[in-house]
Amino acid sequence: MNFIRKAVKPAELLIIAGKTKRVTVKYPFEKPILSPEFRGSIEINHEKCIGCGACVNACPPNALEFVESSDKRTLRYNIGRCIFCWRCIDVCPVNAITGTRNFELATNDPLDLYSYIVHSKTKCTSCSKTGETVKMRKYIMQRSPVTENYINNCPDCRREKFINALSVRKVGFVAK
Amino acid sequence: MPSKLESIKKSIWVFHLNTGSCNACDIEILDALTPFHDAERFGVKLVGTPRHADAILLTGPTTLEALPKVINAIEASPRPRILIALGSCGSSGGIWHDTYSTIGGVNSLLKILKERGVDVDAIYYIPGCPVRPEAVLYAIALIKGIVEKRVKSVVLNAE
Repeated sequence: MNFIRKAVKPAELLIIAGKTKRVTVKYPFEKPILSPEFRGSIEINHEKCIGCGACVNACPPNALEFVESSDKRTLRYNIGRCIFCWRCIDVCPVNAITGTRNFELATNDPLDLYSYIVHSKTKCTSCSKTGETVKMRKYIMQRSPVTENYINNCPDCRREKFINALSVRKVGFVAK
Repeated sequence: MPSKLESIKKSIWVFHLNTGSCNACDIEILDALTPFHDAERFGVKLVGTPRHADAILLTGPTTLEALPKVINAIEASPRPRILIALGSCGSSGGIWHDTYSTIGGVNSLLKILKERGVDVDAIYYIPGCPVRPEAVLYAIALIKGIVEKRVKSVVLNAE
């Protein structure tokens, strides 16, 4: 009996294989199967981005970073370090970041992994220090018109101005 | 394909080297080798020793404990050798890029290899946390020259 079963086994296997048919996907030559919840790389809209740094604070692996220089602030996105958690999309105040379903990110050049958005910084009118980005200042002015008096100064000058105004009001002269 | 890699036109034999990863990428490698995705269509085969390997699959951010073993394994593989950094940990340290016990990705590993005089002919990065099996297949197809490279560095001005 055992001998017969052994002899018949290949035929049984053929029948099973015929029923199940081909299971292998032809992936590089056809579209990949992606679930709707899949999270791929992010895309930053450079026209909407204000350079506030909310995404930089939220990013767990520091894939989004600020590269500071004297008059430019550059937002650097490193796909190689990104873990595709999409936290930046949740925190972005202007909805500049959108998530894509792109995962085909393999490359042989490490420079391909970086993408940059260059912001220019604002200058303080009293001293020559540079502060937040120009678009950030516009955004703040739209949101709260009260800050217009102080908006063109850096935080240090703003504090000094405020203290001086207070002392003039209370004491009558500027304390030194 | 760079001219150095002419000899890897045929089947790529890979040695899977875990340098301290969380095993998610390792599972995805196994997934890429299952009949559903079937990386062996492209001749990819896992081998048991780096001496038989054309490419070395690096997963993980290279912990200090694993570093001497990693260097030995890369040294043992014959030229031309490809290094494939898998996942965000492999390609640039990922979430462990500044921790005390890792060297932080393949870029710092390459510097150490250069100091020791170990040459690497090509290096491929596959971002993803963890990588999808399709992303591994895409990278294999990229090495083989079947598909085009899609990711590109862009510098945009905000104003």
